[in-house]
Amino acid sequence: MDRWFLIAATLLAVVGGILGMISVHRSKRNRLTVAWMIGALLCQIGFLAVRGESRAACPLHDRGEILAFLAWSLTLFYLLVGPAYRISLLGVFTAPVVVIFQALALIPGTLTANPMKIAGGNPWHETHSAMSVLAYGALALAAVAGVMFLVLDRQLKEHHLKSGLFRNLPPVRELLISLERLLWLGGGLLTIGIVAGFLMPHTSSAWGHLIAAVAVWAGYIVLLVVKQVRGLTGRRLSLSAVVLFVLSLAVFAFV
Amino acid sequence: MDLLCLGLNHRTAPVDVRERFAVGNTKLGEASNELVRLAEATEAVVISTCNRTEFYLAADGARAAFERIEIRLAQKIQVDSSVAAHFYRKEKADAARHLCRVVSGLDSMMLGETEIFGQVKQAYASAHEAGATGAILNKVFQRAFGVGKKVRTETSIQEGSTSVGNVAVDLAEKIFGHLKDSEVMILGAGEMSRITAQSLVSRGAKSIFVANRSFDRAQELATEMGGSAVLFEDWQKVLERVDVVISSTGAPHAIVLRADVEKARRARKYRPLFFIDIAVPRDIDPAVGEIEEVYLYDIDTLEQLAEEARGRRQLQIEQCERIIELELEKLNLPGT
Repeated sequence: MDRWFLIAATLLAVVGGILGMISVHRSKRNRLTVAWMIGALLCQIGFLAVRGESRAACPLHDRGEILAFLAWSLTLFYLLVGPAYRISLLGVFTAPVVVIFQALALIPGTLTANPMKIAGGNPWHETHSAMSVLAYGALALAAVAGVMFLVLDRQLKEHHLKSGLFRNLPPVRELLISLERLLWLGGGLLTIGIVAGFLMPHTSSAWGHLIAAVAVWAGYIVLLVVKQVRGLTGRRLSLSAVVLFVLSLAVFAFV
Repeated sequence: MDLLCLGLNHRTAPVDVRERFAVGNTKLGEASNELVRLAEATEAVVISTCNRTEFYLAADGARAAFERIEIRLAQKIQVDSSVAAHFYRKEKADAARHLCRVVSGLDSMMLGETEIFGQVKQAYASAHEAGATGAILNKVFQRAFGVGKKVRTETSIQEGSTSVGNVAVDLAEKIFGHLKDSEVMILGAGEMSRITAQSLVSRGAKSIFVANRSFDRAQELATEMGGSAVLFEDWQKVLERVDVVISSTGAPHAIVLRADVEKARRARKYRPLFFIDIAVPRDIDPAVGEIEEVYLYDIDTLEQLAEEARGRRQLQIEQCERIIELELEKLNLPGT
C-alpha cells in the first residue's frame, strides 16, 4: 500500500513537470502544475502516514523513507513559498528533483519491505531526524532557486532573451531574495536538528554522521554569514547553494 | 438594411478636431438615440474614446445616410464642412471588419492595448440600454466581442517592446522586478537618456540621479524627472547605491571603465547592476559586462531586440487579421 502511494506521488510529479515544461516551451504558464504537485503531496502524506503507522515513529529509518520524507519536505516548501515565485515555473524546476528522490526510494531494496516497529524511540532522535530532513527540503528548494537564477543570469548575460523560459522566469532580484530566505530557513531548521543530534543518545559509530552533519551545517552558516556581512554575487550564492546541497546529499549517502 | 460606420481617429484627425466630436461616457446612450434620429437610421451605437469617435448605424442607402450624418453633425457641432475630410466611411463587411479590428486593439495607437475592448463594450451597453440598438447591431457587436477575445487569447499581440527605451525598461524589470525599490543614474543629459529614464520613472523607479558635464543641464533634467543632479566627477560615488545606469554622453571614448565598477563592488555588496549604454561611440567599456553581477546592454543589442520584437509583432498582426477574416466569413453577419 505504502509503495503505491509513493508510485502515485511520483507519477503526479512527472505529469505536473512535463505539462509545466510544455507550457513553458510555448511561453505560457500552466497554473495546473500546482494542482498536480498538491496531488503528489497528498500521496506523499499517505505514504508517510502508512510507514509512520508501521514504525510507530517518524518514518526515517531506512534510505527509502529518508528520500521520500525529503521529497515531501521539498514539495511542502515549494507549495508554501511558491507564491513568492511564479509558482508554476518553480514547480517545473522542483518536480524533476521530487521525481528523482522518489524514484531512488522506489529502487528495490531501498525501502524496507516490512518495516518493523521501533521500540524505545527517543524524542531527541526523532527531532534530529525530522528537523534535518525538513531542513534539507528547504535547502533543496534553495538549490532549485539557485539553478533558476543561473539559467536566467546566463540568458541575460548572453542576451538570449527569446525563449519561453526566459519570459517565464521571475526577476533576478526576487529569485535571489527567495534563495536567501530559503537558506536562512533551512539553516535554522538544520541548527535545531544538529542540536537535537548532540542531545540524543548515540553510539560511537554515529559520530561520523554527526561530524558530517556539523560540516554541512558549518558550510551553510559560513555562506549565510559571508552573504550577510561581505555580500556575494548572485552567481556565487546560487552556485554555493547548489554545490552545498549536492555535497550534503553525497555526504549522507556515504557517511 | 446595411451596416455603416462613420468615424475619425488619431490617424485621420488632430486632437482639436477629435475633441469637438468627443462624447462623455454618461451621454453615450443619449447620443446613440440622437444619431438614430439624425441619420434616419433604425439602430445606432456611438463609441467615443480619447483617440476616436465612431458612429455605427443600421440604415438604408449608405451614401445618403453618410451625407445626412455629416451635414447634421456639422450643423449641430458648428464646424465647417471641411471637417468631413477627417472622416472615414465604411459599409457592410468593411464596417464589421473595422469594428473587429478596433475591439481587438489593432486600430489603437498602442497596438494590442486592452482598454479599448472595455470602452467599446461600455458604449454598446449604453446604446443598448437606451434602446438604440436592434437585431443588426446587437448581433454585430456581440460577435465582434467574441472575435476580440479570440484574437487576444490566440495571439500575443501585446507582447514584446518595439522601442529601444521600452526594451531597456523591460530588461530592468526582468532584473529588479518592481522598480519601486530601484535607483537610477543618468550619465549625460541627452534626449535618449531622458526618454529611457522617463520610462523607468513611469514604471515606478524610486529615484533618479543625473550627472552631466554641464551641471546646469543636469539640474534642468533632474528637476524635470523629480530627481537630483550630481557633479559629473561624483558619478562613481553614486554608482555605489544605484541599480540602473543609463549612459549617453557625447564623449569620444569610454568613460565607465572596468576598474571604476570594480571599485564600487564591495560597497554595493555585489548586488546586480544594469548598464544601458545608448551612446555612440560607447560610454561603457565592454569589459564592464564581464563583471559577474553586471548586465551590460549597448544600443546595438537593444536595437536588435527591438527589431526582433517588431518582426514578431508584424507576424502577430498578420495572424490577428487572419483570425478576423476567418471569423467574419463564418459569422454571416446581418447588414454585411
